Amino acid sequence: MRPFEYFRPSSLKEASELLVRYGDGGHLLNGGTDLIVRMRDGLTLPSAVIDLKGIEQLSRIREDEESVYIGATVNLNQVGRHETIGKSFPYLAEAALSVGSKQVRNRATCIGNLCNASPLADTATPLMALDAVLEVFGPEGEREIPIRDFFVFVRKTSLKPGEIVKGVRVTKTAGQGVFTKLARRKEVDLSMVCMTLLKAEDGWRLSYGAVAPTPVRLPKTEALLNQGAALEEVLSCAVSEVKPIDDVRASREYRLEMVKVMLKRGLEQIEKGGAVS
Amino acid sequence: MSKLTVSFILNGEEVEHETLPNRTLLKMLREDFDMTGAKEGCGAGECGACTVIMNGQAVNACLVLAPEAEGSIIETIEGLSDGTHLDPLQQAFIDNAALQCGYCTPGMIMTAKALLDENPTPTYEEIKEGISGNLCRCTGYKKIVQAIQSVADQNRVGHGND
Repeated sequence: MRPFEYFRPSSLKEASELLVRYGDGGHLLNGGTDLIVRMRDGLTLPSAVIDLKGIEQLSRIREDEESVYIGATVNLNQVGRHETIGKSFPYLAEAALSVGSKQVRNRATCIGNLCNASPLADTATPLMALDAVLEVFGPEGEREIPIRDFFVFVRKTSLKPGEIVKGVRVTKTAGQGVFTKLARRKEVDLSMVCMTLLKAEDGWRLSYGAVAPTPVRLPKTEALLNQGAALEEVLSCAVSEVKPIDDVRASREYRLEMVKVMLKRGLEQIEKGGAVS
Repeated sequence: MSKLTVSFILNGEEVEHETLPNRTLLKMLREDFDMTGAKEGCGAGECGACTVIMNGQAVNACLVLAPEAEGSIIETIEGLSDGTHLDPLQQAFIDNAALQCGYCTPGMIMTAKALLDENPTPTYEEIKEGISGNLCRCTGYKKIVQAIQSVADQNRVGHGND
């Protein structure tokens, strides 16, 4: 690993100032399960690593009557096993527990999963379907970014220099949801395609991962579902709204087919009431 | 790059140690403390050969930076026996011949330890799921699951439940 300075600030202000001071060389560390591998492989070469785990306020899941808030350093097992998340958003809990191994999930964070901006981030599709909001701290103060505006491209987010995601907030929504992850093996694998389908009070919501440069919502398909369109029409619309590529895990053609299969099965599952509300 | 002092509890002993930041907890344990039980297999969180217990949770020591150990409680395979008596899990791995080359064993046992600490009486399925982050290329898992199962069975009798 190339040399770097390690910092463990105790406040967001301090962390943000360090980020600004080191510019492109500054890198935030949450769980580290992605960053450390990238540093070892020489893909990310920070001159400063800024560990957020010293900032106490980021380490909690908070909830009130309307929403649940996941802090930046909360790990994926904590998300997956949280009582309210399990009850209100079981598909989010399932997505969190589908990442890596138990050891990885004891370190990896939900916010880290989002900030990597991988097209196949498993926790991104449930949070997209839930219209989650990222709470951000930066040199110019605090702001909120709707998750739909957060992912810009592969490994690129709409964060500005010095900005830090404090956490992600989801509004409690009545409805049924399904998370599906298609991978070559059951554990410790990356998604070939992942999907969240949610039947909320105000209509259908559908999002996919690993079928475009960022996780995506499928608004046209959602509209067809809301109109009660025929299944065939819905499925071909879904395929028209994604742009998968060929890569080591799956071909474009296979992914397109799976987009249909996963949606069809998701609809069946929700119809049967198999998915929890 | 400046050296940092890291204070943590390693197998029950308080340690204060100077290290460069650009190395993993695994490297520090192996090279500075001569605790070579945890192994580097993949170095990327896929194989689990480097598993240690950090603050009660199984983690991949290859995915933790040395300075991140600050203030934590670390348990490794070296701390399991008291020097005379093996931990029931270690004994069970021997009794069930749950190893061949032994490379995955320390990580496998530490994962199993964290699992049993959390749930002393896991089912067969829970054990299989619990060790899914640990790869073994020799034995084929059956004996490993059996070994862990035998300790879970002892716990079940001990607890007088089920």
